[in-house]
Amino acid sequence: MIKIERINRAEALRYMGYNKDIDLTNIEGLLDSCEKELLSVIKPRYCCRIFDIEIKDSVELKDCRLRLTGKDITEHLKDCNKAIIFAATLSADADRLINRYKVKDMTSALILDCMASAAIEQYCDMAEKEIGNDRNMTWRFSPGYGDLPIGLQREFISSINAEKLIGLTVTDSNILIPRKSVTAVIGLSDREIPKGRRGCAICSMAESCQYRKRGEHCGL
Amino acid sequence: MDFNTLLKKDYVILDGAMGTMLQAQGLEAGGIPELLSITEPEKIINIHKSYINAGSDIVYANTFGANRYKLKDSGYCVGDVIKASVSCAKKACRGTNTLTALDIGPIGQLLEPTGSLRFEEAYDIFKEIILAGGDADVIVLETMTDLYEVKAGVLAAKENSHKPIIVTMTFEENMRTFTGCAISSMAMTLEGLGADAIGVNCSLGPKELYPIIEEMSRWTNLPIVIKPNAGLPDPVTNKYNVLPAEFAQYIAKLNKFGIRLVGGCCGTDPDYIRETVRVLQSLKPIIAEKEIPSAICSPANTVIVDMPRIIGERINPTGKKLFKEALRNRNIDYILGQAIEQVQGGAEILDVNVGLPEIDEMEMMVTAVKSIQGVVDVPLQIDTTIPEVLEAALRVYNGKPIVNSVNGEEESLNTVLPLVKKYGAAVVGLTLDKDGIPPKAEKRIEIAEKIMNRALEAGIPKRDIYIDCLTLTASAEQAAVMETLKAVEYVKNNLGLHTVLGVSNISFGLPNRGLINSTFLTMALTRGLDLPIINPNIEAMTGAVRAYRLLANHDVNSAEFIDFYGNAAPVQTQSAHTDHTLEYAIEKGLKGEARAITSALLETKTPMEVINDVIIPALDKAGNEFEKGRIFLPQLILSASVAQEAFEILKAEISKSNNSIDKGKIVIATVRGDVHDIGKNIVKVLLENYGYTVIDLGKDVEYETVVNAVRENNCRLVGLSALMTTTLGAMENTIKLIRENGLDCKVMVGGAVLTPEYAESIGADYYSKDAKRSVDIAKEVLG
Repeated sequence: MIKIERINRAEALRYMGYNKDIDLTNIEGLLDSCEKELLSVIKPRYCCRIFDIEIKDSVELKDCRLRLTGKDITEHLKDCNKAIIFAATLSADADRLINRYKVKDMTSALILDCMASAAIEQYCDMAEKEIGNDRNMTWRFSPGYGDLPIGLQREFISSINAEKLIGLTVTDSNILIPRKSVTAVIGLSDREIPKGRRGCAICSMAESCQYRKRGEHCGL
Repeated sequence: MDFNTLLKKDYVILDGAMGTMLQAQGLEAGGIPELLSITEPEKIINIHKSYINAGSDIVYANTFGANRYKLKDSGYCVGDVIKASVSCAKKACRGTNTLTALDIGPIGQLLEPTGSLRFEEAYDIFKEIILAGGDADVIVLETMTDLYEVKAGVLAAKENSHKPIIVTMTFEENMRTFTGCAISSMAMTLEGLGADAIGVNCSLGPKELYPIIEEMSRWTNLPIVIKPNAGLPDPVTNKYNVLPAEFAQYIAKLNKFGIRLVGGCCGTDPDYIRETVRVLQSLKPIIAEKEIPSAICSPANTVIVDMPRIIGERINPTGKKLFKEALRNRNIDYILGQAIEQVQGGAEILDVNVGLPEIDEMEMMVTAVKSIQGVVDVPLQIDTTIPEVLEAALRVYNGKPIVNSVNGEEESLNTVLPLVKKYGAAVVGLTLDKDGIPPKAEKRIEIAEKIMNRALEAGIPKRDIYIDCLTLTASAEQAAVMETLKAVEYVKNNLGLHTVLGVSNISFGLPNRGLINSTFLTMALTRGLDLPIINPNIEAMTGAVRAYRLLANHDVNSAEFIDFYGNAAPVQTQSAHTDHTLEYAIEKGLKGEARAITSALLETKTPMEVINDVIIPALDKAGNEFEKGRIFLPQLILSASVAQEAFEILKAEISKSNNSIDKGKIVIATVRGDVHDIGKNIVKVLLENYGYTVIDLGKDVEYETVVNAVRENNCRLVGLSALMTTTLGAMENTIKLIRENGLDCKVMVGGAVLTPEYAESIGADYYSKDAKRSVDIAKEVLG
């Protein structure tokens, strides 16, 4: 069982738009109590499945209907012979907590929302370590990033039975519910994979990104 | 053979997994297994036959995921897939006594409030399945995790067929489903709705299900169903770890909990069923009528009426100016605020009354019930005098509510009791009839008895009948006070029913009402009052209940009392003695002090002066700091929330003089298809603090809803929010519809994926890069 002990405060603050000149004195107590409450309600879960892959125009997964289309994912997996289809969620408890605060306390709602975003990424990192077991892996590539269609969310979920295994669903507009959830594909290779990093060049958000405007990076 | 005849057998044997068998035959991951009923029916028929040969009395047709949503892009329609699947099962059953079940799994989308699928649409999806599966003998809802979805399914089944209904949900080791539904809540809700058998399937093996089945057996006398997995799957190979013989042994250990319908889920095959049949042959089922606790519930929270429980009375417009105004303006957040405050105060159940002559009570009641259940998990008491409103609320309520109320009049008994029965609620019976409230206890007891007998005849169990002996005002009818208490005592001890009383009425027209109320409450508790309806925000009232629970030995080891009062700081009365100004409090985010300072300010300034001279300049200052990067968004909102506290005081003051603060109305919404509303809500808080009236349409809002709201309220400014590239189209369409309708209003748009250029290209008048900017735009447009 992976457990998040502390939420990555620096990440959460960055999501809130923090810069180092800001004095946190009047909000530190609230940050602490939000973190404690969030950690006490979430029940994070993940599920995944490893498929052999064959790369043609798109990436084909053996014994699976899912086809990963687009030049970016093909490039991403070019050195890999297997791919992990991965999904994780913080659980609907996070949504419920945030929704409750939205009614009377937007400050806490915003803080919780950003902390939950940081927490799911942290959880994914931990899960990835558990699955990877020192194998050569690429970073997580999610539908909607680059030219991998966000419309694949449904097939992602059904190909690894994520609805039944971790309670993850997707709306008609391809929004994952529970909200604080991630789906991703991770490449596996027998050889060492050059350490890449998610960049802004192929990101569909690059033009409107708040972090880029501030000269920062979203950190993913 | 029919289901009821089948139930005369010791055990009804169900089948094992369908998916596991198909995967073993090469079904690819993510494939739609239900389509095989059309493309390769022999494969499906053979699987059914293998289970029939193993001893299954009921086989589940290959219809688990055959719904509108999951078949969307498959090229097949629901009706064809279901008919083909049921026909496969029927063919396999031919010449045997085996029955065919129409198997219904989760739709695949989460329902409101967590998800965006509406309850009514879920009902519709299930109805389509049930009508298509008319040839099946039994209806099964399985692998469910959301009680609300199950309720939609059971109602659809009951209202569109006469078939028996079996429901199994999927629980995790923490005794909850993924959506947080408790076993007790599932059992009492489904028994109330008229399911024929309930239980558990999937997720765990028969060994791990032990505590879950044990708990379920405490809460139902219905036949219990189990369909466990073949143990737990290996995370890498996905192989299950329990073999058939062991599986059957574990099942045998569950026999003492009253299991009657037994089969297998993921990882099981005909061998598991065969072994289970063999082991069960040497056992006898345990069928005993148990006493089920008197309780009500939401999905996550069961409240047992085994000691006094507090019903919060505040969601009720009677005599409340601000509440009435909130209802007229459809200000749902106001109602939700009242709900949260009462739960924090100690309410364990909330009464919900939204009756106001000039509004559409039914629509408001449905919205209120859904919204309240989205933010608090205490059960609700539905309080209305209109049967249609009552039924609408009972339909959409998630769990088992209380109905407030029925009385001794024939018309009331005949309309309310059948609804209480149909929806499986508990009911409050008022001891009055066509002649009004009898002055004497004896006559009230007579009415209570009549209500009880009629409710029992209607099929409502005794544990679900609560009697309200009615509190009269002491100032008007002093002698009646003790009559009420006499009736309470008799109803409790001699009729054996639970009792309810609205307490606060007692002191009407008297000074020091709090003292009268808490004294009367204590008197009533000692005479047998179970469900006091009170204002839980008043410490003397909730405190009296807590103290009573301790003294009456309900609060074991005084744990609850000590937990509550043991470490509590001495109660601080809010004092105006602070050196801080309101400007300073807003700047520093000192929420606790805002109310007191504002009250003090009102001694020298008018409310409008406080807004214009103090609050707005302070907020402007915070806004400038934000723009310069000296404070960040949480601190800006914190400042705004301090201003909001001040506004509460100002609004109360202004409503005394029949005025209101209104610098203009602004409609805001998160567009259709999008559920991200944090940004929109932040904008709302800021705008309200500048004195604008914000009509918040919520998230996932239809284009027409925006247009109608603008037109009805004569709005000159609309704010639209979208956070997904996929929902920007909906934003564009909304703007287009506003223009097509020729509405004279400006449109501002915001959201992370927007750019100024894009905003312009979709016809918006303003691009609001953050919440602060939205205020500047409002000032420009509305002044």
